[in-house]
Amino acid sequence: MSAIRLEHLVKQFGAFTALKTMDLTIEDGEFMALLGPSGCGKSTTMNMIAGMERPSEGRILFGDRDMAGVPMGRRGVGFVFQNYAIFTHMTVRQNLDYGLRMGGRPKAEIASRTKAIADLLQLSDLLDRPAQGLSVNILQRVAIGRSAVMEPAIFLLDEPLSNVDAAFRAVMRTELKHLQRQFRQTMVYVTHDQLEAMTMADRIAVMDHGVLQQVGTPLQVYNDPANTFVARFIGAPGMNLLKGRPVETPQGVAIDLGAAGISPVLPPPQAAAARSAKAGVYYGFRPEQAHLVSAGQGLALPVTFVERIGARSILHLGNGDTAVKGVFENDLRATLGETAHIAPIGEAVRLFDAGSGAALRGH
Amino acid sequence: MTATAAPLKDLSQPMSVTAPKPQDEGRKLGFRLTLPAQVLVLFISLFPLLMQLYISLTDWSPLSGMAWPRAWEMWNNFANYTDLISDNRLWSALGRTLLVMVVCVPVEFLLGLGLATLFADDFPGKRIFYSILIMPMMVVPAVAGYMFYMLFQSGGPVNDILSSLLGTPVTVAWLSDPVLAMIAVMVADIWQWTPLMFLILLAGLVGVPEDQMRAATLLGAGPWQRFRTIVLPRMKTIIIIALAIRVIECFKIFDTLYIMTGGGPGVATETISVYIYKITTQDLIWGYVAAIALAILVVLSVACVWAMKRMARAQGDRA
Repeated sequence: MSAIRLEHLVKQFGAFTALKTMDLTIEDGEFMALLGPSGCGKSTTMNMIAGMERPSEGRILFGDRDMAGVPMGRRGVGFVFQNYAIFTHMTVRQNLDYGLRMGGRPKAEIASRTKAIADLLQLSDLLDRPAQGLSVNILQRVAIGRSAVMEPAIFLLDEPLSNVDAAFRAVMRTELKHLQRQFRQTMVYVTHDQLEAMTMADRIAVMDHGVLQQVGTPLQVYNDPANTFVARFIGAPGMNLLKGRPVETPQGVAIDLGAAGISPVLPPPQAAAARSAKAGVYYGFRPEQAHLVSAGQGLALPVTFVERIGARSILHLGNGDTAVKGVFENDLRATLGETAHIAPIGEAVRLFDAGSGAALRGH
Repeated sequence: MTATAAPLKDLSQPMSVTAPKPQDEGRKLGFRLTLPAQVLVLFISLFPLLMQLYISLTDWSPLSGMAWPRAWEMWNNFANYTDLISDNRLWSALGRTLLVMVVCVPVEFLLGLGLATLFADDFPGKRIFYSILIMPMMVVPAVAGYMFYMLFQSGGPVNDILSSLLGTPVTVAWLSDPVLAMIAVMVADIWQWTPLMFLILLAGLVGVPEDQMRAATLLGAGPWQRFRTIVLPRMKTIIIIALAIRVIECFKIFDTLYIMTGGGPGVATETISVYIYKITTQDLIWGYVAAIALAILVVLSVACVWAMKRMARAQGDRA
């Protein structure tokens, strides 16, 4: 009923194509994050789902119902705007019960539903305060409550946490997830913050330049990025990608990484895939999935920087265009300029076609 | 004391040890420099008012053979003001002025609001229609008066159009009939001043945040509900301003009307301004004229202050 199907969705603004042929199915009750850098078309996609923009081509279906021509007021979607769009000339209560009042619900029902949502979002003490002048954190909850009180089957959130402070963001991530579990709505969440997407979403749709790059669970997009864009975009820091050519060694196929040396030998399926890549490959591994090894093994590169981020330390290695990062415990010992030897954990290696950027799956 | 206090107040200014600048010095200089302008403004605004007040307490007239400063020789205490109360022609004129006001201002408001709502969205040819729409406002009122004077002649275009619409010849003498003349005058006022209302209201309407309108729509509010709950509360201040401007202007309605009807037929369209004009130029009882004018000034000022206070309160609600 409240599954969302996007079929060949295209959106053009004049000569500019904001969205190129998007196909995506969001299951009933699923929490889907649309993740990508600004200008990737994620907000455009969401605005089309809400009915605020009309698709240039393609269809949007809620369940089996084509939404073409259904005005936004009739789609029954809850929408939380990035800037909240709170009715500042009203009180918190008037904001929360706005939809119910406009729908002409009985007074008793309005009162009880408003009270329930206010309790849930800890807004009960603020109900009669004017919305003008409340802090961003509170406005944010009012914005969510105002839509949630309508109990929409589909809930759309447009970067709802981008304006609030870091501590509150962490709290809201958990609360939003709880809220969604409680009501079982289909939730579409637009964000450029991968942490939000990773922690809350059932599945993530990664987008760039109006093109859907990959859809999958947070772990799928983290572990098996479909292409070099996803590999770089997901993870902090993103995946190490080193350009190289496959070479035959006595032990088997490895990748010649230029300044970084020769990679460890690839397992047979990846070796076959690497051989087939005409334009060369990108040799990729996560900075978290590497360890320091003794000289003569792994990749040898000089240390350029040690970044202490509190819980961990990020080791930057580099030589010219070749750069590698590794995330290690804080007891890491490294001296600037000295050569370090780093090797990926065997199964962590990912290969990508250097021409198309697509992942070379070893099977 | 001032020397130590001044740098504390304004830390952004570099401290100067050699040339301390006490604030009083600058203020005094500023006062001296602007004094001529202030005196001029004071003179321009205050002098006519005082002169008017002085004359309004006398029987002075330009025919009385003496210069106005000697008007005290014809002092009549408050006779002019007591005469006001029993002046039926004045009260009728006031009644007609109020009638024009209560008909024209609401019509202009509703038309202006409707047009503003239309123009808040995009449609093809919007710029051209927009220019055409605000043109009446730029026509000199006297010219507009002549235009409508010609339009409403018994052989004029209005009757021609009505004839062709109704299929029978219409030869209504618009400006010679007491009721129709009033209607014609109102039509001219509405034609000329709806654009102003439209412009002010459009500015207010464009200022309503798009996101809030969308949010209201997504919460299921229909067009009328959106207008009542979002647009109207946000436009309260601007609506009061628009109405205040038009009410004051309407009270002073003169040029277009005078050219169309001269206040006639008889006194059928004689408003306050026309009445004052007539007794000024025909009866020449300037003491009495001054008294009427002052009374109106007081009434309008009180109304304005009241409206301003309402506005300030409305603004306070929003802040």
